[in-house]
Amino acid sequence: MILEINHHSGVPIYRQIKDQVREQIMTGRLREGEQLVSVRELASQLKVTPVTVSKAYSAMEAEGLLERRRGVGLFIASIQSDKKDRTKEEILETHLNKAVTTAIQLGLSQKKTEKMLKDLFLKFRKQGGEK
Amino acid sequence: MVNISPVVKAEGLIKKFNETVALDSVDLEINPGSIIGLLGPNGCGKSTLMRHMIGLYLPDKGSCTTYGCDAGKLTQKELSRIGYVHQEGELLGWMTVDQHIRYVGAFHSKWNTELENKYVKDSNLNRRSKVGTLSPGQRQKLSILLAIGHEPDFIILDEPASALDPVARARFLDLLMEIIQQEQKTILVSSHILSDVEKIIDHVIIMKDGKVVRNRSFDDLRDSYMRVKVTSLKDSLPEKLPFNGVLSCRQYNGQAVLILENPEVEKIKNQAESINSRIDFHPLPLEEIYTLAMEPGA
Repeated sequence: MILEINHHSGVPIYRQIKDQVREQIMTGRLREGEQLVSVRELASQLKVTPVTVSKAYSAMEAEGLLERRRGVGLFIASIQSDKKDRTKEEILETHLNKAVTTAIQLGLSQKKTEKMLKDLFLKFRKQGGEK
Repeated sequence: MVNISPVVKAEGLIKKFNETVALDSVDLEINPGSIIGLLGPNGCGKSTLMRHMIGLYLPDKGSCTTYGCDAGKLTQKELSRIGYVHQEGELLGWMTVDQHIRYVGAFHSKWNTELENKYVKDSNLNRRSKVGTLSPGQRQKLSILLAIGHEPDFIILDEPASALDPVARARFLDLLMEIIQQEQKTILVSSHILSDVEKIIDHVIIMKDGKVVRNRSFDDLRDSYMRVKVTSLKDSLPEKLPFNGVLSCRQYNGQAVLILENPEVEKIKNQAESINSRIDFHPLPLEEIYTLAMEPGA
């Protein structure tokens, strides 16, 4: 698991950890049933205090992203597919919100914006070798 | 079981020097496992407070206990668990670096020579140099070693890195992060270099005029302020924006930048539609939060 912490962004560290882990679960880079590194291991990797990692792990457990197996540790929880879809949509909505409001502010039409979006899909499909 | 009894507990702590009130009814608890930043302007009482924790000062009123023991009654048992770096870094100039390390080490029942050797090497300290001839930065490095060589549980650092160059400061912060990974360690650090402190602390205590004005987890403190940028998707914004906790607001041509205290992020996101705007949230760095806490009436 690779996480990057920005100490000067002002975003609480526990939230940076939580958001990145959530995104990695949703994109499949972290898989269901995978064990997370211990609090101390992640703390020393990220150079943050164990208190902070502990807080992030607890928050993720409360959100149902992680499950604790007594005496063993924390694992990526299995998430129901409808909840997973909702979370994915939430993540994307944040990004699209910015894109659409920027388009409006720049005075670009909806038609033009939709075409740009479509073109981008085409471009990345081609790069990925898909039809 | 995790031991959660506080490392330090101050209750109604008052300290006066002649007519000057240095500490004005300070109440606080410091819990183990944290790196706590003690921040505030010069003369606000940071060093005075730290000195109570090791019994160098005694309260005029109220109490200050360290590991459950009153400031005036600290014994070898508690003191051996504490490491302290002075702001002034008082050292014996006529000794060599090596003699000074041996001299201080002799006072302690244990001394980690492995840590000592690694530290001396990493920080380019010359064991044969006379302490009196060291640069301020080298003196500070030596003071730090003398405070941590006996592997204390509670490390008190009063402006420990002010004379260090950027590389030495980064090494020093790494060293603190290594120490805190061990069970039951606690580090209290005062510093004016907020961008350094920001990297390591998980709890903040801000003092002003002898009083504690903020005392909370760093993450909670970061959550309690937000810069909010509102941009109208049409031409104009309502003159009065419907947000609570506005500390400051600038508006110009359909755009507004506000600083909010305890922002209700979800509520504000929903309000974006009603005022037909785009709203961006930007957290504040410690430097700005600190400045806000210092404003009169804050």
